[in-house]
Amino acid sequence: MEADTGLPHRAWWTPYLFLAPGLVMVVLFGLWPFVNTVILSFTDARILRGGGFVGLDNYRRAVADPDFWVATGNSVLYLLVVVPCLVFLPLALAVLVRAKIPGIGFFRSAFYTPVIASAVVVGLIWQWVLRSDGLVNTVFRRLHLVSEPVPFLTDSTMLLVSAMIVTVWKGLGYYMVFYLAALGNVPASLHEAAAIDGAGPVRRFFSITVPQVKPMMLLVGTLSAISALRVFTEIYILGGESGGPGGGARTLPFLIRQVGLGFAGETGYASAISILLFLLTLGFSLLGRRLTKGDEG
Amino acid sequence: MARSNPTRKTLVVLVSGALLSTAACGLGGAGAGNTEEAERTGRVAGEITFRTLQLKPAFTGYVQAVIDAFEKEHPEVKVNWEDVPGDGYNEKLVADAQAGALPDVVNLSTDSFQLLGDRGMLADVAKLDGDSAGEYVPGAWEQFKLPGKGDSVYAYPWYVTPEILTYNRELFEKSGLDPAAPPTSVEQFFDYAEQIAARSGGRYTAFMADPKGRLPGDWQKMGVPVLNARKDRFTFGTDQAVAWVERMKDLYDKGAMPKESLLKSDDINQLYGGGKLVFGPGSPGFVKDIKQNAPQVYAKTGVAGAVTGRLGHIGIYAQSLGIRKDTKHLDAAAAFAKWVTNGPNQVEFSRKATIYPSNARGLADPFFSDRGDGSDAETLARAVGADQLKTAALDANTPVQWTNQVGDAVVREVQKAIKGEQDARTAVKKAEEAANRLLADAARG
Repeated sequence: MEADTGLPHRAWWTPYLFLAPGLVMVVLFGLWPFVNTVILSFTDARILRGGGFVGLDNYRRAVADPDFWVATGNSVLYLLVVVPCLVFLPLALAVLVRAKIPGIGFFRSAFYTPVIASAVVVGLIWQWVLRSDGLVNTVFRRLHLVSEPVPFLTDSTMLLVSAMIVTVWKGLGYYMVFYLAALGNVPASLHEAAAIDGAGPVRRFFSITVPQVKPMMLLVGTLSAISALRVFTEIYILGGESGGPGGGARTLPFLIRQVGLGFAGETGYASAISILLFLLTLGFSLLGRRLTKGDEG
Repeated sequence: MARSNPTRKTLVVLVSGALLSTAACGLGGAGAGNTEEAERTGRVAGEITFRTLQLKPAFTGYVQAVIDAFEKEHPEVKVNWEDVPGDGYNEKLVADAQAGALPDVVNLSTDSFQLLGDRGMLADVAKLDGDSAGEYVPGAWEQFKLPGKGDSVYAYPWYVTPEILTYNRELFEKSGLDPAAPPTSVEQFFDYAEQIAARSGGRYTAFMADPKGRLPGDWQKMGVPVLNARKDRFTFGTDQAVAWVERMKDLYDKGAMPKESLLKSDDINQLYGGGKLVFGPGSPGFVKDIKQNAPQVYAKTGVAGAVTGRLGHIGIYAQSLGIRKDTKHLDAAAAFAKWVTNGPNQVEFSRKATIYPSNARGLADPFFSDRGDGSDAETLARAVGADQLKTAALDANTPVQWTNQVGDAVVREVQKAIKGEQDARTAVKKAEEAANRLLADAARG
């Protein structure tokens, strides 16, 4: 029973009234577009006209579409490479910059700078670094390491790898801050006790630091997996609108954009691929959750 | 608590119902094909909306003056001018078309014109004002006809930009080429590029690979039949197209193009301005940019008529003014569109920007035939462009059927061939199949 607050009796809908502004935003900009996408994925709608229901045709088409599988493969590969890098490297970085030595603030800021730089600027800088007449290739050629420039941006696989490097480079500082917060919560007494027992820094890192920040590692893993599956900008800026030669470096968001954009854009088919991407993301998120639960248990 | 449960359930049902029904509304579509055609009343009056493509703030004064003069001439008309940035212009147009909120007079580029016209959203200008046909340069008026729609013309031609050829004369000489004899055909262009690549020693390249920008224009110039006569099937899968791909691959391997230009060409100005590229962009406006940003390269810039082909075709980028088919004030909208595109107004506009009038009397203005002493690239570019417009056949434009998707699909196969991942014949065959699949899909839609 509700306690008597002394205030006039509240109607049952009072809490909803307070929730309403937020709810309206969520419904309008989150839920409704999602429901609409699900519905559209079962239609042959195009940009300029609505469509009729075609059942599972779009999904069947996706399964039979080689482009879809190339994009899915690229997205999953992206995830498999980028996520481990983004889970472990920022942790190592955080441990390094945690030390209280003079001037360390500069390094912390420096590592965080890529995070605040716009994706376009980052893309342009890396393009300049990686192009066939760019910084890396010029250095390689001067050192006579290569006779022909390395096709960082003009070969599909190399382009994907280049985009992964950019994603990791940009994510390092971001997740480093997560780990700095987590490291701050590791009791110093544990390290002191282990040190007294004769454990060296490496041993202490693996036996104390890593288990203590494991929940944060799982969170970082989940977050970076979601963003890895959504990658678009890096590939677009480095490899142009075709997504690498022959579109060989396209990821799922890239394919969705290509299919759905323009006057002939196939909204229905693009929606179906979006839903498949959503399911893939959901799958990996649930996997992450399960790992977290396992850890807690 | 028990009391509120059914109410809450009702609320949930209501919200979900509303969501689903509004979501399903997206399926209704624009229904634009059924747009009712407005009738002429003979009275030029009413409030009309005029939408332009990225003319503010550079040309605010010019456009406003044109509007003011029109309103003075027709006091019963009120023109509301809205300018929309280039980014997302077409998307906004699509959204407005879907919502039935197209402006009365709207600035259209080639692709947006074709789409709105095809869907029956634009008024037939030939029917409204057929006498105006003679006022525009030959080709410009015809350009706004649509396949299968007879003699109807769906927009007033506005300003146009023809394709020209720009090149670095100094690099031409260094490559053993005569700066006074620029290439005139696609094949010759490739021969020049080969010689440039052979002599450059990797210090500069000839041209941007940019297959998306080169196709289908290059093929059309070479006489490759892009579409069949009924325009319902792509037929570019010919030996000539295969030869084009093979030549591109050969030139790419020989270093005639910047490697990254196979995928993107957005740094063309930078490369040309830095003296690292022999052939610059084919637009007169570019010459002005180079003058401002790279004066030392500007001094070496040569300008010539666009590379054409056996048929003498060039590409032209045309802007037009469409009239919303179901506008409430047809007379005012038509009179205004004609006013904006008349000779004096177009010439005035061309003096302020590197564009050309589609209006015949406008193009005859001495401003466009003045070549100066032949040494200033900007003056020369203006005269060359105007000449091209007067004489060249203007039908090398991208056909309606060559949508962005078709372009992407073709370019993907071509890129693979240029990279050596598949042979040229397979690439052209697969490109044609993919293009026809997309065309068939679009026709079904």
